[in-house]
Amino acid sequence: MPQLTCIDPNEQAIEVAFEPGETILQATYRAGVDGILAECGGGCSCATCHVMLTSDWDGTLDAASPQEADMLSFAVDPTPQSRLACQVQLNEQHDGLTLTVAKRQY
Amino acid sequence: MNIGIIGAGQAACTLIAELVRGQFAGKILVFNGESHRPYQRPPLSKTWLHNPTDTESIRLLPEPIETHASIEWIHDKVVSIEPDQGVITTNNARRTVDHIVLATGTRAKTLAIDGLPADQVHVIRTLSDAIHLHEALDAAHNIVIIGAGFLAFELASSLDHPERTIRVLAKGVRALPQISVKAADRLLEETPASIRVGVTIERYDQDSASLITNHGPVPADLVIVAIGARPNTELASACGLGTSEGIPTDALMQTTHPRVSAIGEVSLHTQPHLNKVMRIESISEANDSASTLAKRLLGAPEPFKATPWFWSDQGQLKLQIAGLAARNDDETCLINTQTERVVIRHNSDHVTAIEAVNAAKEFMAARRLFEQGPISRQALLQAGSVFSLLQSSRS
Repeated sequence: MPQLTCIDPNEQAIEVAFEPGETILQATYRAGVDGILAECGGGCSCATCHVMLTSDWDGTLDAASPQEADMLSFAVDPTPQSRLACQVQLNEQHDGLTLTVAKRQY
Repeated sequence: MNIGIIGAGQAACTLIAELVRGQFAGKILVFNGESHRPYQRPPLSKTWLHNPTDTESIRLLPEPIETHASIEWIHDKVVSIEPDQGVITTNNARRTVDHIVLATGTRAKTLAIDGLPADQVHVIRTLSDAIHLHEALDAAHNIVIIGAGFLAFELASSLDHPERTIRVLAKGVRALPQISVKAADRLLEETPASIRVGVTIERYDQDSASLITNHGPVPADLVIVAIGARPNTELASACGLGTSEGIPTDALMQTTHPRVSAIGEVSLHTQPHLNKVMRIESISEANDSASTLAKRLLGAPEPFKATPWFWSDQGQLKLQIAGLAARNDDETCLINTQTERVVIRHNSDHVTAIEAVNAAKEFMAARRLFEQGPISRQALLQAGSVFSLLQSSRS
């Protein structure tokens, strides 16, 4: 199974296996990565699954939808690499990549 | 301290997750009355209904929490509680705990229709309901949804198919009465359902496979009743802690008995946003009440102070609401463009809710503004958008 490395808010690195086609939220939630709240359960309605992707992800994803971008503007300290975990669908290209969970979700 | 949580829905699971993360020292007994592992309810009426075998994507608890050593999962049905002794009795055993948490949620209201066999009537509340509905869909060409709230129209969007006719029958004078006329009109522009209001159902006629109504016969080979939910308060009522209206609690989610708390959709407590005692059915209420209780059980109590929020997906449209309006509150349209619509609900100048269709930024700004204090309608209109008002409040 392909894997991601997630840096949680305590700066611990956690290996997360994923099935291609699932979202970052589904994979990290199942693995119990700390710091991803996802209050709305993946509905792009709460901005509490904020993660930051490394530059290795560039070119592997479509840009955030206007809805996601709007929600992200209310995340705590968003960066150009910020995404909502519920909106990013994973594929084989993402095997071995790293992301960081936001320190605070609100 | 050992606790027994009755229920395994959103509120129960938020409480469990926060207790585990907060390194709660005792044992947590969870009485899950359903046979499924804890799952999210909101997707059941939305896109998930296209593929209901996928129970992994809707699981509610992360694996390490669900399987945490402090938790014991019990699938027997709870038949009674004895608050003084901390006893929870199931159809199988008696268990004793130091504190009982009632997170029993709500159940779908049903409707008995003369002539319609019970197995042709569906509700959608549990995963089993959703699977049952999905199984019946193949043979269904004329679907009737009774009720005209969010659930009805989410279902209509999800069930849309070229070979199906979907009709929504409402008893009241309009569809989506919970929200403003202007927001409802926008949401309903794209609904695949045809809507009839002011409908009284008299009976079902088997020969013509139709519901006989005051507006004439309506073809129906599958009927879904989506007329709301009522709280599961029987366990509490039996020991004087609740009524059919809900289970009263204080701002720390404690019932009138010191050994019993109630969270989520059954709890009846003062909503600070409205300064009114009421029960709210929403994910935000489940999460916020559970967090409030978790803090108390972890020894750092903080009173409930959240502002409710809601969302609903109707096909490609997303409605997000911050706050909660009464049905007769006034409405003023703040933003109306090709894509976005934002409506202020208010009681004279006092804003009670902001309804945003495809306007996530306005919705998030509204949540932040409500956290800061009351919002004035006049100030919103002067600022031109919720986001502008939020920015000016911060500068």
